Amino acid sequence: MHIKNHPILGERLHDPVTIYFNGKPLQAYKQQTIAAALIANGVKKFGESRKLMQARGLFCSRGRCCSCYMTVNGEDHVKTCMKMVEDEMVVIPNIGDPDVRGDSHGN
Amino acid sequence: METDVLIIGAGPAGLAAAFEAGSRGLDVVMIDESSRLGGQLSQQTQMVSMLPSQYPPMKGFELAKLLINQLHDFPVKILLNHPFIGLYQDGSIGVSDGKNVFPISAKKVIVTTGAAERAIPFLKWTMPGVMTIGAAQTLVNRDFVVPGKKAVIFGSSDFALDVAIQLKQVGVEIEGIIEESTKLTAQNMDKINLIKQASIPIYLNSFIKEVGGNGQVEEVYVQQDQEVKTFHADLVCVDGGRKPITEVFYQLDCSFSYQEKLGGWIPQYNERLQSSQEGVYLGGNAAGISFHGSILLTGIIAGISVCEDLGVLEADEANSLRDSLFKEIKIIESKQDDHLWLERMTHIENFLHPKLKNQFIS
Ligand code: FES
Repeated sequence: MHIKNHPILGERLHDPVTIYFNGKPLQAYKQQTIAAALIANGVKKFGESRKLMQARGLFCSRGRCCSCYMTVNGEDHVKTCMKMVEDEMVVIPNIGDPDVRGDSHGN
Repeated sequence: METDVLIIGAGPAGLAAAFEAGSRGLDVVMIDESSRLGGQLSQQTQMVSMLPSQYPPMKGFELAKLLINQLHDFPVKILLNHPFIGLYQDGSIGVSDGKNVFPISAKKVIVTTGAAERAIPFLKWTMPGVMTIGAAQTLVNRDFVVPGKKAVIFGSSDFALDVAIQLKQVGVEIEGIIEESTKLTAQNMDKINLIKQASIPIYLNSFIKEVGGNGQVEEVYVQQDQEVKTFHADLVCVDGGRKPITEVFYQLDCSFSYQEKLGGWIPQYNERLQSSQEGVYLGGNAAGISFHGSILLTGIIAGISVCEDLGVLEADEANSLRDSLFKEIKIIESKQDDHLWLERMTHIENFLHPKLKNQFIS
């Protein structure tokens, strides 16, 4: 849920935008990070851990723990708690590691 | 890019240091990895306690605004969304703009990277729905998002109680505050009374054993005496205290020593807030976990020392300013916790006898 009228800070959410999570459109506001916008829309699971396939989501919201990594507009491993939403952003859960080195290197 | 002073971290200490340097005519560049100034202060809607005497009582975000506004007339260049990446061979600092890394060469560097929250592990603590108490506050006060419907709070510091009240104000039901020891760790009676007035249940001698849920938290199992109590909640806020953020100091190869009260291994510094690397100064929680007052005052001291070393402030004046600022730190810290001030003094004395030095030479 978005906080439209904050008890101390008042109204701060202007500029609605649409982001896509797994292809589904969600409403967000420019004043929010991607992670926060997802939580406002009831999405808490942002991805799965590499080895044990356990759910991961926002933990520190400070860019420290890397638990909120997701793929954003095709870019792997974006810390979604630190990046603000933009209209039409495409967000995909983080499922495993990106192919950093590439198959061609024999990895 | 070239500058007189580079400040890494735009929280309260960094802003205070920037004012000292900028207002005396030095060129300042300030970088921060986040998208706004003020650090954690910007989302604190609670009153800040223990401010230096020249400040009237105010809320955290108001103090952030004041510190930001006082920079307006001075040559301070601010680069947000610009994390520190590393060090070039020639000593310049590598900074990322999100696409490229570029060097900033500065005559002096002030590191004010602040503190990070600690996690408290319990079974399945990595499940979505478990977050730090600060993260919950960030969602409410920075992003304007309700983090959950029903919350359990693990830990009972003054900060945890502040956030419990703030969560409740935006409609989150607080199922309980879980504290391992026999009494609340919060010291502020006003805050404790607020919790009682809000009828938030407190469970002492208790700890979270495990959380359960399918991909996200649905239940919280709390051990109390011989019994395990089940809470139905979708949010667990963990209040594990804070530790200084020190990566930048490792990279700059500063020496470290250990001070329990100040947050563990912290970079060493002298009474000028200068590290073992001559051109590197520090302030704020990076110089040891403390109260808002000391965070500001150490930032100011670092700024003054840099001004002195770059010749825009006379040594006599710098010395007397530092003396009076340290007196204020002493008043603030010893009022709350005698050991904190004593450990800070020990830490400064240890400057000449580093415990951990040249540890990262590769
Ligand atoms: S939640 Fe920790 S880095 Fe984003």
